Amino acid sequence: MLLYPLLVVYKNYCILIPIFCFLHGFDAEEDLVGSLASMSTNERIKAIQKMPETMRKKREIRNKVLKEITKKSRHRGAQCTQCLQGAAVSFRRFGNTLSEYFHQLRLWHKTLKIIGAEFGTSVLSYFVFLKWLLNLNIFSFLINFGFITIPQFLAAEPNNLSFTGLEVFTGAGYFQQTVLYYGFYTNATISKVENGPSYNMQLAYIFTVGIYFVICFLILLFSMAKFFSRNINSQTFSVNASKLLCTWDFNITNEKAVKLQQKNLHTQIKESLTEVNKEVRNFSVMERVARIATHLLAWLASLGTAVAACAAVYFLSINNLKLFMKGYRNDLESQAAMLVLPVIVSLLNTLIPFFFSWLGHLEKFQTPGQHIYVTITRNTILKMSIVGILCYYWLNIVATSESQCWETLVGQDIYRLVLVDFIFCLLGSFFGEFLRRIIGTTVCMNLGLPEFDIGRNVLDLIYAQTLTWIGILFSPLLPGIQMIAFFIVFFVKKVSLMRNCQPPRKVWRTAQMMTSFIFLLFCPSFLGVLSVTGVTVWRLKPSEECGPFRGLSSMYAAVDEWIQILQSYTASKWVVWIYHNLISSELFFFILSTILLVVTYLYWQIIQGRKTMTELLRKQINNVSLAFICIFCIIWLLC
Amino acid sequence: MGGSASLIPRDLLSEYQELTFLSKQEILLAYKRFSELLPKEERENACSARVPKSQILTLPELRANPFQHQICHVFSTSESGDDSMSFEDFLDMLSVFSDSATSDIKSHYAFRIFDFDNDGILDRKDLEQLVNCLTGQGEESQLSSAEMEQLIQNVRPAGQGMGTAPGTGLSAHLPPQILEESDIDKDGTINLSEFQHVVSRSPDFASSFKIVL
Repeated sequence: MLLYPLLVVYKNYCILIPIFCFLHGFDAEEDLVGSLASMSTNERIKAIQKMPETMRKKREIRNKVLKEITKKSRHRGAQCTQCLQGAAVSFRRFGNTLSEYFHQLRLWHKTLKIIGAEFGTSVLSYFVFLKWLLNLNIFSFLINFGFITIPQFLAAEPNNLSFTGLEVFTGAGYFQQTVLYYGFYTNATISKVENGPSYNMQLAYIFTVGIYFVICFLILLFSMAKFFSRNINSQTFSVNASKLLCTWDFNITNEKAVKLQQKNLHTQIKESLTEVNKEVRNFSVMERVARIATHLLAWLASLGTAVAACAAVYFLSINNLKLFMKGYRNDLESQAAMLVLPVIVSLLNTLIPFFFSWLGHLEKFQTPGQHIYVTITRNTILKMSIVGILCYYWLNIVATSESQCWETLVGQDIYRLVLVDFIFCLLGSFFGEFLRRIIGTTVCMNLGLPEFDIGRNVLDLIYAQTLTWIGILFSPLLPGIQMIAFFIVFFVKKVSLMRNCQPPRKVWRTAQMMTSFIFLLFCPSFLGVLSVTGVTVWRLKPSEECGPFRGLSSMYAAVDEWIQILQSYTASKWVVWIYHNLISSELFFFILSTILLVVTYLYWQIIQGRKTMTELLRKQINNVSLAFICIFCIIWLLC
Repeated sequence: MGGSASLIPRDLLSEYQELTFLSKQEILLAYKRFSELLPKEERENACSARVPKSQILTLPELRANPFQHQICHVFSTSESGDDSMSFEDFLDMLSVFSDSATSDIKSHYAFRIFDFDNDGILDRKDLEQLVNCLTGQGEESQLSSAEMEQLIQNVRPAGQGMGTAPGTGLSAHLPPQILEESDIDKDGTINLSEFQHVVSRSPDFASSFKIVL
């Protein structure tokens, strides 16, 4: 980053001094071969790959480097290094083949390519995000199935409830006594062979969920860091020229789409040109007050709607609980009544965003960017507060109610929410895109084809993922259900997109959007889920008569008991030591967070320093180029 | 896969893997697509054959691309200047446009693609041609010369303050002054390092400068 202003100077003035340049170029290749030869194999391959040269040239360099290396190693006469090199080569080959097999597993490579070709990178990013979530759910399903469900099958109890078919929608009835829910899992230690190795279900349950969340945390953190580091450059200054120079989307290969993209770019350039020519509008005091008042009113209205929606959900859910408490009836009426809550929640989630976007249109934002961000913020507030109020209901009311197995009740609630949300997602693409196209092409011609609403669709995905994360503790197989749902959503959305939609007219800053989506997935969603799970594990009392933690004061007590047992074995003293000194000690976490804060502060300072440095160098280049021009003028005059 | 694997010798294949950003699968797919462009009798030794430019441009990935001629020109190593491509040139191209290529190498080649007259700098003529490619070549879609002037050089109608930047949202606002912002040393042209400097700040560049077979 710091080097390139210097490079600018170098590149410019080496043209002026061609002899120097020639000599330098001659030396450069020798230097290059020398430095490449001293690198490790992996680094060398990467360095050669990065050269902007033709294949023939690269091969030439590579052969020279290899010759140099063999010369050197002959001098040393070391057999051992060759041996090691051979091992390294074969190890690398092995790595390559392994990565190729993973490569072949790339799902939907072709589908994604077609979407990119017709709709560009911005719509593609939605599908990439969907695929990412799908992979996450597959992973979590495999973990839960492998470590929790399969052992449970070995200790299975018979299921004596009847299956009518309606349970698929309500998740109640027959499913209550299946591996789908927390309540069915045993608290016993499973061992098939007498005196053989045994499997402690309590520990398996808590560790599987715990480790899964830790892995999720790390994955999210790393992908956020990746996206942020890519974006950090763009946020230092906003350069408009880069938008034009990098604006062409080479992914788009469909002829019609290319024509359309050209047309869009043309209108955008024209618009921005006329905008520059326009006088910058100065708002009078009255206008400004009016604008602020509209924004305030809109915020009040949207927050009020969110609060009203939450209240409705809260009272409905309390009503719902009474229904459960009456007992497990299997008649049609009570099953239909169970579905009222999830349907209402999904309806609120689908309809209120339309109200928000209408509000946004009324507000007349100055830039479309503001409009998008404000709408996304409001939708996030709405969705997260609905989820929040549901969590409050589950943890404070269901958990303290006198039901037999409150964890299973919560699991069922989440199951229904996930399922109904999935159905609404399918209906959304039918009504939102299919009918909209029919109306736009036959009834109301000036509406035209609909555009794919990336923001709304991504928020729906984040909401669905949040529900799944909350549900993992209460219903370990929920990721499997969400996995199937995402799989179907992928195809339905793809078909709907291909049939109904047109490519977006605005150039979206894709990378930035992706960063904010991952950030949203992390910040309200994942952190919220972590706190809900934390409260459940540490504070709440598990049901007395069901589930792996029956009879304990809290789920975490299982770990405490295990540590107590471990203390009597000398071989596992280190586990006890780690537990006492690191995991359950406040001091350790205090020190850890202090170190983290210090490191963050240091990095922040370094970034600030670099910014000022770049600015200084930039000024210097301007000065130097002026000085050079002066000097050349003088020389020219003297000659 | 098995069929085409035997056509490229093992050593050559691993060499290609070392020299490009492509994986084995991608190289084999490239080989398949490349040999399909050749007439039947030449397919046996596709590694040494050259495909004329007209054939290369029939690839669906390039057919509609407005920069197709420049892309062929930049990656072709043909000495006669007919922009025909050998298999290795083809791999070079796919490597630069691949997912795993670094942003640096992508911007290097983007510069060469946008440098229509091959003089090593982007001057006003190159920029004009670039804008024409972006907006389409048709009569009605081209910008007028005054608009072009304004877009590239930042010449504004009288009575306007300089430096009133337009909105910087994530949106429709495209640059009304390419040179003013990217020409750091103020010599009236954009050179490679200035170009890379500008491009490095656009996080979208690496994801949009991509062609996958």
